[in-house]
Amino acid sequence: MNGTTTSAETGATTDPGETATSALALDRASVGYGEKVVLDEVSLTFAKGRFTAVVGPNGCGKSTMLRALARTLPVREGRVLLDGRPLAEHRSRAIARRLALLPQEPVVPDGITVRGLVDRGRHPYRSALRRRLPGDAEAVETAMRATGVDRVSETLVTGLSGGQRQRAWIAMVLAQQTEHVLLDEPTSFLDIAHQIDVLHLCQDMRADGRTVVAVLHDLNQAARYADEIVVLHEGRVRAQGAPHEVIDEALLREVFGLEAEIARDPQSGTPLIVPRRRSREGDRV
Amino acid sequence: MSDSLRTRRHERQNLAEEQEQEQEQEQEQEQEQGQGRGQAQEQGHAARHGGGDRPDEVDRARGGDRPDRQAPQASLRGPLIGVVLVLLSIAAGVWTLARGELGVSPADALAVLTGNGDGPAEIVLTRMRGPRILVGAGAGAALGIAGTLFQSVTRNPLGSPDVIGLGAGAGAGLALTTLVSDGPGSAWVGALAGALVAIGLVYLATGRGFASPSRLIIAGIAVAAMALAVTQYVVAVVLRDEGSQLAGQLVGSLNSRSMQHVVMIAVALAVCAPLAALLRHQLLVMDMGDELADALGAGAVRTRTAAIILSVVLCAGAVAVAGPIAFVALAAPHIARGLVRSPGPHLMISALVGALALLVSDLAVQAVPFLEGLPVGVVTAGLGGIYLGFLLIRTWRRTTA
Repeated sequence: MNGTTTSAETGATTDPGETATSALALDRASVGYGEKVVLDEVSLTFAKGRFTAVVGPNGCGKSTMLRALARTLPVREGRVLLDGRPLAEHRSRAIARRLALLPQEPVVPDGITVRGLVDRGRHPYRSALRRRLPGDAEAVETAMRATGVDRVSETLVTGLSGGQRQRAWIAMVLAQQTEHVLLDEPTSFLDIAHQIDVLHLCQDMRADGRTVVAVLHDLNQAARYADEIVVLHEGRVRAQGAPHEVIDEALLREVFGLEAEIARDPQSGTPLIVPRRRSREGDRV
Repeated sequence: MSDSLRTRRHERQNLAEEQEQEQEQEQEQEQEQGQGRGQAQEQGHAARHGGGDRPDEVDRARGGDRPDRQAPQASLRGPLIGVVLVLLSIAAGVWTLARGELGVSPADALAVLTGNGDGPAEIVLTRMRGPRILVGAGAGAALGIAGTLFQSVTRNPLGSPDVIGLGAGAGAGLALTTLVSDGPGSAWVGALAGALVAIGLVYLATGRGFASPSRLIIAGIAVAAMALAVTQYVVAVVLRDEGSQLAGQLVGSLNSRSMQHVVMIAVALAVCAPLAALLRHQLLVMDMGDELADALGAGAVRTRTAAIILSVVLCAGAVAVAGPIAFVALAAPHIARGLVRSPGPHLMISALVGALALLVSDLAVQAVPFLEGLPVGVVTAGLGGIYLGFLLIRTWRRTTA
């Protein structure tokens, strides 16, 4: 176990060959706001066609990393690689056809219907002179059906419940028809049933061949639904790997300041964290 | 490194290579037929969700037959409103021309345009009322577009050039210019310089350039107040000699416009309106927040900067030919949105609303007894204010109900 953690920790020495053939990767990327450095020389490769959950304590740089991957926040040093080429070398619209981001709190436009919102996902394929493309209606329709919002397609998004609204946003991302999907805390502010709902949608996207990267807060959900877990701690990658490889008592103590027992999820056999108490070191957080 | 990890990495690498090849093929396909891959994927996906009894073919047929319900409605409503607005604007123009002793009937106007007109009609048409109408329509359209651009990128109904200090800055530049020279050419330079200084101050004052819409508005309000002070200073200095003329520069007026003014606003519109139409594509997703706009490839800060630059030029153009006319830029986009009833910037409708509003307001200061002789800006402020209040009350009622 310990060996796994260390090898993942030294991700900075990621084999360049792997970086070149993988779809989405960070290469010694440093990102921050103003003076503050949030991500510190992080190197990380996201497995293609897998569902990766990014976890870590508050302020560890999860959302920042997602923004860097989606080029909505520029990296200061290092590179973000899409198919081995730095993001900066791709045109932004070309990236938008291959990589979709759902921010944590997207703004719902005034007076927009579900269909109108989902239709926004087609934006990267259009231009000032080609406002509507033959495949648009079909893409919007299938995205709405896949997320089950087709029955409320003419309803105003502002009138939807939180769970339905999140489904509508995910439908927008689906309509973008990208092979990579980045979701920033897609389950926050939802009740437990709708959280599971969203996680199932993530698995569906993965089953469709998409690479899904989601920032999640609930470790048990991450362990149960994701193929891979990336643990961020203080701006660095602390561990990366399959849930059962990554989640252990030492990691929980060190990263989250939590004393816990690792049980087995009776449904899926994945690690299930049963907290005992906060550890002493955790008190400083 | 544990064996399991090494094996896993190896597998992943193989997988990645395989998928790379697949993906290359997919990309080619995609380029040919747009979105074949994703559709097929989602088709299967939808079928899974619907259970085993719903085969892909059924789904496909359904998706294909289902009409795009939003499109016909939106695509009909917009042009229809546009046509109505154009007709109303023409009616307001014709009425302005035909009114009173010096009135020129449409037939007379046509005769003048074809070169067979009589003396008085020609003078009224080409030197008096003609330029007045054209400048009014042009300035109104420019303000309508400027307001829509601005509100779209600030995501704030108050983020319009009048609130943000652009109009006031252009007005101050215009007023200062009159101290040293007069003539439409220098007015244009003065107005543009004033608007640029104003937006430059706003840019510096936010500390983050154009990245924060809310700071943009707060800084803009401060700049607007300063610019107004400059204008008032100039008016106070010059008041003794030619104050009545300068009063028009405080609130905006269409009195005694010439063909030079018409050319100026026409050039500003001819340059900026097509650019604004091109920018509209990116503006369409600005209302979802910068991050999502960036993610969809619309480049939020770049789009905002471009929109603000266009807005500055249009606004300066309008102010140069008609003075700082209030509320058209603020109200026209709201009215346009209220008419079209769908999200997204309605540049064309907004331009037409602006033109119509200014023409009708100008007609009012010529024809309505107790408004006669007032600068047109007084009326636009009054009408715009009343309409905006009405709009806000209606919206608030609807949202609280």
